[in-house]
Amino acid sequence: MSADRAAPWVGVPYPRKEDARLVAGRGSYVDDLTRAGLLHAAMLRSTHAHARIVAVDTREAEALPGVLATLTGAEAARLSRPIRPLIPTPVPLDDFCLAVDRVRFVGEPVAAVAAVDRATAEDAVERIAVTYEPLPAVLDPEAAIGPGAPLLYPELGTNVLWHDVLVYGDVDGAFARADGVLKERLRIQRYASTPLETFGCVVEHDAGTGSYAFWTNDQRPGLTLGILAESLGVTQSRVRLCCPEIGGAFGNKRRPAYLLVCALLAGKSGRPVKWIEDRLENLTALMHACNGVMDIELAYRGDGTVLAIRVRDIADEGKNLVSPTQHNLIKLGNIVNGYRIGAVRYEPYSVLTNKCPSGANRGIGKPFMCFAVERAMTLLARRLGLDPAEVRLRNYVSSDEMPYTTPPGAQYDSGDYAATLRTALARFDYAGWRAEQARGRPQGRLLGIGIATSVEPAGTNLASYELVTGRRAASGSAEAAMVRVEPDGEASAAIGDPASGQGYETVVAQIVADELGLTPERVHVQRGFDSSTTPWLYLSGNYSNKFSVTDVGAVVGAARKVREKILRIAAHRLEVAPADLELRDGAVRVRGMAGSGLSLREVARTAYADVLGLPAGEEPGLEARHAHQNTLAAPVDARRRVRSQLVFSNAAHCCLVEVDRSTGAVRILKYVVVHDCGRELNPLIVEGMVHGSTAHGIGAALLEEFHYDAGGQLLTASFMDYLKPTTLDVPDIEVDRLEHPSPFTPLGAKGVGEGGAIPGPAAVANAVEDALAPFGAIVRELPLTPERVWRLMREAPGSEAGRRVAPAPGDAVR
Amino acid sequence: MVRLRVTVNDRAVERDVPERRSLADFLREDLGLTGTHVGCEHGVCGACTVLVDGATARSCLLFAVQLDGARVTTIEGLTPPEGLSPLQEAFHECHALQCGFCTPGMIVASHELLAENGTPTREEIREALSGNLCMCTGYVNIVRAVERAARSDGRA
Repeated sequence: MSADRAAPWVGVPYPRKEDARLVAGRGSYVDDLTRAGLLHAAMLRSTHAHARIVAVDTREAEALPGVLATLTGAEAARLSRPIRPLIPTPVPLDDFCLAVDRVRFVGEPVAAVAAVDRATAEDAVERIAVTYEPLPAVLDPEAAIGPGAPLLYPELGTNVLWHDVLVYGDVDGAFARADGVLKERLRIQRYASTPLETFGCVVEHDAGTGSYAFWTNDQRPGLTLGILAESLGVTQSRVRLCCPEIGGAFGNKRRPAYLLVCALLAGKSGRPVKWIEDRLENLTALMHACNGVMDIELAYRGDGTVLAIRVRDIADEGKNLVSPTQHNLIKLGNIVNGYRIGAVRYEPYSVLTNKCPSGANRGIGKPFMCFAVERAMTLLARRLGLDPAEVRLRNYVSSDEMPYTTPPGAQYDSGDYAATLRTALARFDYAGWRAEQARGRPQGRLLGIGIATSVEPAGTNLASYELVTGRRAASGSAEAAMVRVEPDGEASAAIGDPASGQGYETVVAQIVADELGLTPERVHVQRGFDSSTTPWLYLSGNYSNKFSVTDVGAVVGAARKVREKILRIAAHRLEVAPADLELRDGAVRVRGMAGSGLSLREVARTAYADVLGLPAGEEPGLEARHAHQNTLAAPVDARRRVRSQLVFSNAAHCCLVEVDRSTGAVRILKYVVVHDCGRELNPLIVEGMVHGSTAHGIGAALLEEFHYDAGGQLLTASFMDYLKPTTLDVPDIEVDRLEHPSPFTPLGAKGVGEGGAIPGPAAVANAVEDALAPFGAIVRELPLTPERVWRLMREAPGSEAGRRVAPAPGDAVR
Repeated sequence: MVRLRVTVNDRAVERDVPERRSLADFLREDLGLTGTHVGCEHGVCGACTVLVDGATARSCLLFAVQLDGARVTTIEGLTPPEGLSPLQEAFHECHALQCGFCTPGMIVASHELLAENGTPTREEIREALSGNLCMCTGYVNIVRAVERAARSDGRA
C-alpha cells in the first residue's frame, strides 16, 4: 500500500503483521520456550469428587531416578499463602495451590513432581500414594442449595456464595397490570472454549535475589502478578511475568495455582520448571462456563410489549473460589438484552458444587442470559401469533433514545437495533425461507428458522463486585500503553493486554501509524507482555472485550504525547509554531510548503543524540506512556444500579436448520450475522472475530457438554467425548455490518470478541424449535444433540400431531 | 534407547531416542522444530499434523522409532527459504488464522489436499480439513484461503 496517503490506516482491512511468523510455524508459544537445566512438572490429581485427604506419601516418587522435587498440599500450605480471590467469599477460605486436607472435584491437583523430563515426572506421579476418605458429593446446584446438602466448606455453613434479590422499577405493578405472563424454566450446560493451546508456564527462581520469573500464557497478567507475589511472600518488584504468543484464551487461560506449584518446585529443586497442561487436565480442571438453571418470567401486553422481567438464576460455580458471582453479575448487566423492559427483578444464586471451577468463558453468563430472553421472546411470539421478528421490533430500545439506561444501570450508547435485525432479515431472505418452510412441511420436511438478537457489552467495571461484597476493592476499567519513536526514526509500541489471536500487533500499528504519520510497517508492536518492560496496571489483561474501550485509548493517548513532542522539537528546529506543522509520510512538514521540513529520523536524532538541539526544558528521548481509564465506569449507586460493562455492540443472527426426523441430527443450512460494533478498526479482523465467536455459539448449541455422572466423574474428558465443531459443523457464516460509532470510546470502536457466542446458542435453539413446530416441542436445554432432538420429537406434547404430518422418528422400526 | 535414522525436511537425521518418545516430542524437543504444535495428544485436534512419506499423520500418535527410514515433512519444510508458499500467502491474505496454534497443522493438511486435488470444491476442502480443529476462526476463512491457494496455483 502507498506510504504517501492522507487517508487513515484505521478502518482499513489491513492483513495482519503477525501472520508471517505464524503461518511458517515461527511463533513462540510457552511450550516452545526452554532453559538450561529445565525440569518438567506433572501433577497428581484427585480421583474423587469429594474426599478427605488422610495421607500423601511421596517417598517412592522421590526415589525414582530423575526426580528432583516433589510437592504436597501440606508443604504448599507451609511454603506459600492462600490465593487471593478476585471476588472475596463471605468468609475467607484458605485456597492453596494444591489441595491440603480435602479434595472438592475430580481433577483437583493434590501433589506435584519435577523431574528431568515429562515422562519421568508422570511416572513419578503414579508412585505417589494418597489415602482418601470419601465424602458425599453434591453435583446438582439446586440440591446444593437445599438443607442437608453436603458442604464443600463446612466453615461457610452453606454452599451458597451469593443470594440476593435485586429489584429495579415497579416489577409487581407491571406484572399486575400485564395482559399475560410467560414463564419458563431453562437450563444451560457446562461448556468451555477450550483454546487449542493448553495452559502452561516456565518458572525460574533466583535464590540470590529471592525473585521469580514466569513465562506463561496467563491472559490477565496484571492481576496474576500481584497474586503470585502475595502467595509467594515476596514484593511485586521481585516477580517478573511474561506472556509469549498465546494460542487462544477466551477467558479460560488463568490459574495462578499452577504457576505457584511450579514456583515452589523451582524453589525446592533450584532449577527452572516447565509445566504444560495436557488436554485431559484442561477439560477436567481448568475452567468451565457455569451450568445453571433459570426461571424467567415476562409480563407482557397483548400487543407483545414486554413490561417487566423476573429472573431467578442459579449459577453452578463448581469449586470456584476465585471469581464466583461473575456469571450472575454479568447477566444482570445484560438482562434486558436491548429491549425497553422497564422493570427488572433478578434473584441470583452463586452455588458451590463438587465440579471443575467455573470461570470466564467467551461471553461469561451472557450466552445463557441471551438464550433465556431470546427463547422467551420467541415463545411469546408463538403465544401471541406474532412473527418472532415482529415481537422483537416492538420492544427494542430505539436509536433516538440513546444513550439509554436500562433498569439495572447499563447504558446503551449507540446503535439501531431494529435496523440491525431488518438488515439481517433481508440478507437472509427471511420471507423466501418462510415460504420454502411452508412448502416443505406437508412433505414432512423439518426446516426451521431461528432469530436471536443481542447486545454485546465491552469493558468491565470491577466496582460492580460491590453489589456482592458490599465494599469497594478494585474498580473501573483501564489499560496502559507505551509508544516510542526509536533513535533511528522507527516506531515501537506496547500495551498491557497480551493478545491471544486478536491481532493487536496489527491494529495498534494502524492506530500509531495514523497518529505519527507512518505506515503500519514502520510500527513494531511488542508481542505479548513483559512486566519488566510493558506498561501495565492491576487491570491489565486480555478480558471483558475491553480492547476498544480502554486499550485503544491508551495507545492513542501515548501516541499523541509523542506526536506533540515531535511537533515541538520540529517547530523549535524549523523556527515555526507547532500549529503550522503537519506529520505525514514519516516527516514533519510546514503546512503549504512543499519540500520543507524534517524527517522523523532527524527529529529522533535530535531527541536522543543531539540533545542541545532540543527546546529549552524539553526532556530528551521520544517516548510516552499513557493509561486510559474509561470514564463510563462509575461506582454502584444508591439504587444498586451499576454499569458493570461499558459500551454495547449489537447483533442479529438468522439461522436456517434442517432436522433429520429419523435421527434427530441438526444441520445448519444457512447462517447470517449482521452486527454493529461501532467503528471497525480493522474490518478483516472484525469479520474473523464474528466467524469464530459464532462458531463457539454453534458448538454450545449443538455439541459441547461437560457431562458428570452421579458420583462426580467427568464423562467427557477428551475431544473424543467432548465434541468441538469441525469444518463439517460450521457453515459458511455470512456477515454484514452496520457501523454506529460509540460516542464513549476514543475511536468510536466497541467490543466484537463475544458477539457471536452470545446469541448463537439462542439462534440455533430457536431454529430447531421452529423446525419441530409440527411436534409442539419446546427447547429448554442445550446442546441439541441428535439424541436430545429425537427425544423432543418423541416426547413433545404434540408428537402425535407431528407424526400425522409424516412418520415420527422410530415409527419405521416399530 | 533406539537408533533412529529418518529424513526430516530433506535432511538426514540420526539419533538415539527413547522408545516411548512421540514423533511430536522428537520433532519439537530433539530437533527444535517447534512449528509442529501439540493440542490434544490423543489424535483429534490435528495441530501436530505432519507429512510422513507425503501423507498426513498425527505426530502425537506415532512413536519416533516407528519412523525409521521414513521421510517426515513439517511446517518448516513447507516454508520456502525466502518468503511464504502460496498456501501460506493465502492464509495471510484471507485472515485464515488468529492465534496461529492450529495453523501449521491446517497448512500441512491443506498441502496434502492440494497435492492430490488441485481444484477442490468447497465441500472437498471442508472434508479434507475436518480432522483439524480451530477454536478461533470458525473455519470460514480457512476454507476461503485454501480455495484461493488452489486458484493461485492454477494460474502459476
